[in-house]
Amino acid sequence: MALVTEERTASLTFAEELRQRMLGETINLCYQCGTCASSCPVAKITPSFNPREVIKLALLGERAEVVSGEAIWLCCSCYNCDERCPQKVAIPLAMYALRNIAFKEGFIPNIYSEFASAILDNGRIVPTSKFVEKKRPTLGLPPLQPTGVDALRKILSATGFVKLYQKKGGSS
Amino acid sequence: MDKVKVGVFLSDCGKQLSEILDFNALTDYAKKVSGVAFIGKSAEFWRGRGLQLIVDAIKDGKINRVVVTESLPKLSEVNIVQAVEEAGLNPYLVEVIDLKDHCAWPHRKTPKEATEKAKAMLLGAIERAKLLEPIEKVEFPILKSALVIGGGIAGMQAAVDLADLGFKVNLVEKEPFLGGLAARAGRFFPTDDCAICIQSPASDVKTITHTSRKCVYRSGFSEIPDLNILTNSRVVGIEGVPGNYKVTIEKKPRYVNELKCVACDLCTTVCPVEVPDEYNAKLKKRKAIYMNVPNVCPPVYTIDESICKFQDCAKCVEVCPTEAIELNQKSKRITLNVGTIIVATGFQEFDSSVIKEYHYDDYPDVITNLELARMIDGFGPTGGAVVRPSNRKPAKKIVFIQCVGSRDRRYNSYCSSICCMISLKHAMLIKSAYPDTDVTVCYIDIRTTGREHEDYYERARKMGIKFVKGRPTEISREPETGKLVVDVEDALLHRFLELDADLVVLASAMVPSQGTKELAQITSSLSRFEAFLDEDGFFKEYNAKLRPTETKLRGIYICGGATFPKDAPTTSLHAHSAALKAAKFMTSGKIVKDQRTAVIDEEYCGNCVFCPVTCPYGAIDLVPTTEGHFVARVSDLMCEGCGICVGTCPLNAIELRHARPNQMLTQMKALMSVNGTSKPLVLAICCSECGGTAVDSSGMGMMQYPANVRVMKVPCTGILQVHQFLEAFKAGAEGVMVVGCKSDGCHYEVGSQKAEKKVELARTLLKEYGIEPKRLEMFNMVFIEGKQFAEAARTMTETLKKLGPLQLMGGS
Repeated sequence: MALVTEERTASLTFAEELRQRMLGETINLCYQCGTCASSCPVAKITPSFNPREVIKLALLGERAEVVSGEAIWLCCSCYNCDERCPQKVAIPLAMYALRNIAFKEGFIPNIYSEFASAILDNGRIVPTSKFVEKKRPTLGLPPLQPTGVDALRKILSATGFVKLYQKKGGSS
Repeated sequence: MDKVKVGVFLSDCGKQLSEILDFNALTDYAKKVSGVAFIGKSAEFWRGRGLQLIVDAIKDGKINRVVVTESLPKLSEVNIVQAVEEAGLNPYLVEVIDLKDHCAWPHRKTPKEATEKAKAMLLGAIERAKLLEPIEKVEFPILKSALVIGGGIAGMQAAVDLADLGFKVNLVEKEPFLGGLAARAGRFFPTDDCAICIQSPASDVKTITHTSRKCVYRSGFSEIPDLNILTNSRVVGIEGVPGNYKVTIEKKPRYVNELKCVACDLCTTVCPVEVPDEYNAKLKKRKAIYMNVPNVCPPVYTIDESICKFQDCAKCVEVCPTEAIELNQKSKRITLNVGTIIVATGFQEFDSSVIKEYHYDDYPDVITNLELARMIDGFGPTGGAVVRPSNRKPAKKIVFIQCVGSRDRRYNSYCSSICCMISLKHAMLIKSAYPDTDVTVCYIDIRTTGREHEDYYERARKMGIKFVKGRPTEISREPETGKLVVDVEDALLHRFLELDADLVVLASAMVPSQGTKELAQITSSLSRFEAFLDEDGFFKEYNAKLRPTETKLRGIYICGGATFPKDAPTTSLHAHSAALKAAKFMTSGKIVKDQRTAVIDEEYCGNCVFCPVTCPYGAIDLVPTTEGHFVARVSDLMCEGCGICVGTCPLNAIELRHARPNQMLTQMKALMSVNGTSKPLVLAICCSECGGTAVDSSGMGMMQYPANVRVMKVPCTGILQVHQFLEAFKAGAEGVMVVGCKSDGCHYEVGSQKAEKKVELARTLLKEYGIEPKRLEMFNMVFIEGKQFAEAARTMTETLKKLGPLQLMGGS
């Protein structure tokens, strides 16, 4: 078959690779009914993400395209698809697995890089400011507590995150 | 007992075998075995002069045991056994072995070793024959009457067949009227003709023709002389044995005398109680006294006792011109004794309300295909108009959603197989009647696999019905207008669609009916009948390929939707098949069985429950003795002679009459006694079914394996006990192969699995005794895997060669 390139044939075990990362859940049961896509709030507003297509590409073994692409980062983890998929394909789990593979291989969008360095530097994803701290009491919110960033770094270091992140050119 | 005189009949299959095996040596060898009184030689013994030789020897009183070497013993054995029986000898005093497929052909290249093996096989057969005992036939009566459970098309077709063949038939239907789902469906695909016609019964002498089919009401169905129709009735208990089942039926009162009612309809006009008509999708009301459709069978009104005011009202009684209404009728229990039971309890629609995102419960304009069928039916609640139930206005935009609760691993993972065709039928009926209606079908895959079914799909496309490949995620409702919106991705366009709809039709899955579930419960006492259900809750046939309507219990048959969702043609086919099987069973009026069954030595029986729970056929019961304890007793009727109980009994209290442990041991020792140059000796114990045929077929295919591998057949590997493996080693085997059927394909259901466990246990023991566990191995094979057997035999031989001679403690 001309359509199946050598690369595809070689990477047909991509679904199997995902299965191992998805705690044994498989995407092979997907029959492309589109319930996930029509359940997806992200897919409704951007053509860049369609869970059905991500799963299809993964099933076809288009590893490079999926892992280096933008789509897998757009899932908002609402679990609507997970709830409604008639084949019980754990689509959010698949997205996490794909992101883990992508991160490991250096495909991480800038915004997530920035989040990572923010966490490593300050222990928070969103930076704080004097303005925010002054504003909080007026909204009835308690003052911000210290984040324990040292402990967080230790944990992230122990899990290997820091090393992996630095290796991939993170700034921290 | 007479002195044992064995006749040995050696066939060289027309010199095919004498080129490999030394028949002179074999003859000389057999002559010297004690008890051998006669030796015959011929090219074949299963017919002609060879067979006459056996018959004459028996008639002349020269022999009273027969050992025959033939090829394909299963085939030739039939003739030999029949002839032996006619000659006046009990047919179970015959031992046939296959010197061709078990010896000469697979060992063509080593004639010397093959001849050695042939001697061992001959000795094994002679020694076993000497220990054989006559087995007698027993008979059990079969009543020539049947019970058909379920009055849908499957049940009615089966009932007509059996009644036409002269059997007394009782048809039980839990509803007040016959017809089941067919009565509601209106029309059937792909012909779009009426759902409610059946084959004419033979008793319809005046109008029947070869090709006639009739609406149920004019078919004379209710007048078939040997057909006893019990509506409003449920089976509440089944006891007994094959051929004589005692069935208890509870018949609820109809409150209308069937012999008096003239169906004049006066009663319904005066009845003051009204409820939504469940038969008509609750789209119209019915009275407490009612009939569901005009052409119903039986054409007799019925009273819904859950809502009738009875004596507080009794208006119907006053108005009835024939005094047919009898408000004092009571429920009654009826006991029937029947020879056979046909289960035709059907399927029903899945409860779609559990899929919350489709709002079947909250939105009245979301309906199911069955409800739509009532609407399309001219007799239905809307007189054929397709309307929005919420406001009764015509539905101009209709969306069908396929696979609702089917192909869905959250509910039913199977494909209900008929819903695509049902939706196509409805879509086209609507489109033909109201061409300006916009009809869209949302599907995952359209499945139209029957004859003319694809044409049907093609016609639907030509008519302008739209198809969207995509399973909708949700149905929502615009609060102001009440319009429905179906949210779906067209997966082919990669586009999200919001389809407006006046009416959404759910192609709900077909699931086991309530009746199917209830019957499964009731019959669970009968030899674990619940094991007949598959994982989806449908009745499961005993063998899908060969016994599509039979169950494990003789005399109980299943057909129609009770086994899986089916269309009408397939249901008919299935029903006729079940009726044929039931008729075949009842025709002779008796079950004739030989006592190839298990027998329990009550003195040794230890009162445990192992054998009753292990027997796959429920053939063993614990019965009380006069001394206040229990002993196990085998029913010759139920026992299939597999020997799984023998392998289970911890006290060796059970034996099979046709495979006694001493017969097996003697044969085993003989097979291992002649070895000469054939080493290391391997005993291959194989079952007489699939596993055994793998051994046969390796020989038939001339697949070569060493002659040190010697074959012994047992009824089922489930009969084997752990100590028998040890005995094999003691007898001289250096390795033991156990060849059974596939784990899930055992002819006795669990025999192979039991053997696997036994082998596992024995391997553990062997290790304790210092014997390498590798010397014992289990194989699961079927006929087409002869090659695998030959390979396994070679591998086992190689393994044993590497291990070296077996060292038994205290042995030489």
